[in-house]
Amino acid sequence: MVQNRANASDNARMSAGLFRRAAARLSAARSDGGFGPRPGLAAEPEPTALAAIALGDDDARRWLAEHQRPDGGFALVAGDVVSDAATALGALALPPGQAREGALDHVVTHQAQRLPANPASPHDPSLRGWGWTPDTFGWVEPTAHAVLALQVMRPSAAGPLADGLAVLADRECEGGGWNYGNRVILGVDLPPYAQTTAVALIALQGAQPELFARGLSALDRLWRAERQGGLSLAMALAAFRLAGEPAAEEVERALDAELERTALLDDAVTLAWAAIGAGPGLDAIQRPA
Amino acid sequence: MTGPMDRRTFLKRATQVGVGALVVGTGAGIAAELLVERARRPWDASFFPPPGRPRVAVVRAASYDADLERIVLDGLEAVGADIAGRTVVLKPNFVEYEPGAAINTDPRLIAATVLAMRRLGAAEVTVAEGPGHRRDTQFVVQSSGLLESLHDVDTRFVDLNSAALVARPLHSSFTDLHELWLPQPILDADIVVSMPKMKTHHWAGVTLSLKNCFGCVPGRVYGWPKNVLHWAGLTEAIVDVSAAVRPHLQIVDGIVGMQGNGPIQGTPMKAGLLVFGADPVATDVTAARLMGFDPTRVPSIAETARFLGQGDPERIEQVGEDVERSAVDFATLPQFQGMKVGGKPGAGVDAGPA
Repeated sequence: MVQNRANASDNARMSAGLFRRAAARLSAARSDGGFGPRPGLAAEPEPTALAAIALGDDDARRWLAEHQRPDGGFALVAGDVVSDAATALGALALPPGQAREGALDHVVTHQAQRLPANPASPHDPSLRGWGWTPDTFGWVEPTAHAVLALQVMRPSAAGPLADGLAVLADRECEGGGWNYGNRVILGVDLPPYAQTTAVALIALQGAQPELFARGLSALDRLWRAERQGGLSLAMALAAFRLAGEPAAEEVERALDAELERTALLDDAVTLAWAAIGAGPGLDAIQRPA
Repeated sequence: MTGPMDRRTFLKRATQVGVGALVVGTGAGIAAELLVERARRPWDASFFPPPGRPRVAVVRAASYDADLERIVLDGLEAVGADIAGRTVVLKPNFVEYEPGAAINTDPRLIAATVLAMRRLGAAEVTVAEGPGHRRDTQFVVQSSGLLESLHDVDTRFVDLNSAALVARPLHSSFTDLHELWLPQPILDADIVVSMPKMKTHHWAGVTLSLKNCFGCVPGRVYGWPKNVLHWAGLTEAIVDVSAAVRPHLQIVDGIVGMQGNGPIQGTPMKAGLLVFGADPVATDVTAARLMGFDPTRVPSIAETARFLGQGDPERIEQVGEDVERSAVDFATLPQFQGMKVGGKPGAGVDAGPA
């Protein structure tokens, strides 16, 4: 259950330890069958989906199925604001069946708005990607989640998948890696970050090999500079593990130290990514060969 | 869902991808739209009593090594802050972290404020922020030294991006949001203190105690970087969010501020000033003037001055340093030159409703 597929036996033992510690801490966020964003809070789609992936948790999957919206999405609804960016993660968490297909249908049919081209923030206006909320601009993280779900579970969705991959290529920062959504603002190159670079790499998993290689190189530099960030480390671990990169071992040691020292601030999303990166949940988000 | 956008919608949404500069020079037509809109009064006056004559204190602090606890204590007392027995949430600005950059409220000032609040009898003091740019809150608050500083003064940090939420109807309607989900720790506090960095902002002109309220809005609902707020129109969102949060006190960190391409990529500007207030509009009017801005030309300040607080410098009781003599010329991007004192009105000011 807790064995990671890392190559070296030492690393496997360390992964098992990190997985157990992250999973135990994550369990404190259980709520009504799902998982809240931190202990003591009501369950929400994103931490529940990630915890379901990380722990293979049937209760969490059941919570997702019970909270799926009629349109197939998973959302936090705040008045008129429907935050449905967790739908792709929900699809990855669900077992094969109608609920998963409904979530994937939602992903395919709920892409972001196109916005006109502008030199102040250059982007390809023909592309859409996915936003945090419906009908908004596409950003790297929600686009990466959607690309990941489609690559893993519905590669037949060729149009949206190609669009998502093109968005990730379009938003690549100078020299590799990703910022949040733009690569240039007002003529200034924006820097890449570890967390956003990691999520894009988790989505790509070798697709677009040159883009992927530049991203890996950037992440290898970025995580060292941002090693005090729990979410950055956790997602970097998952990205390196999926890529079979030896840097995963060093990242894992840094993450384990942060978990020991700070409990990753008890943030359920961070803890779930740590458990995914160190545990068997990684298989659920691995792109088929 | 993907039909053509009208002009106003496009202008709002343009900022979402950072195309504010596009609207510079589109001039008269948009100005006319705004004049028509200003005839509206999109707020419930019963929730916003007319402002009085608030006191704002401008205090010199040469560096972060000064006796900040004493300076903050004096500043709070100068504006009549009534803290005794109250629960206090300090809401600094930790939008992002870059080594050597003056992006965030300095942790030493925050720690000193914690101590000052305790000396004034606060029942409890916590520090809360929901970083607006980075999703990895831990990276921002650890790398910046905030957590270590708070540990030194035995104070808890609350991540507002993952805190419990409560729906609150809006009593102003500059956006179409109608309600906001706000963090319970903000709503439960007796006293919320907005503690922004004194910075220029590449879409809003300046970012001070009003704009700092964006950090109270949870990213897990509204996206990163608080995407929905930008989509709703930046100025409109600043107005509605600050009117919903209504920070009771403000402390602006202008010891070292940021000029130019703020709020993240600008350059440090040593102003050596702290601004204290109990009216966020009056505080921002004063801080903007200290930065060399004409607050009547900063859309978010001008709009909030219509109902949320006192925007008329003649009706603000200034104590401490003289504002005009203490003003420091913060450099701006060219499109905001028209917002500066002495800037040609309309020259690049037209950021439309963005």
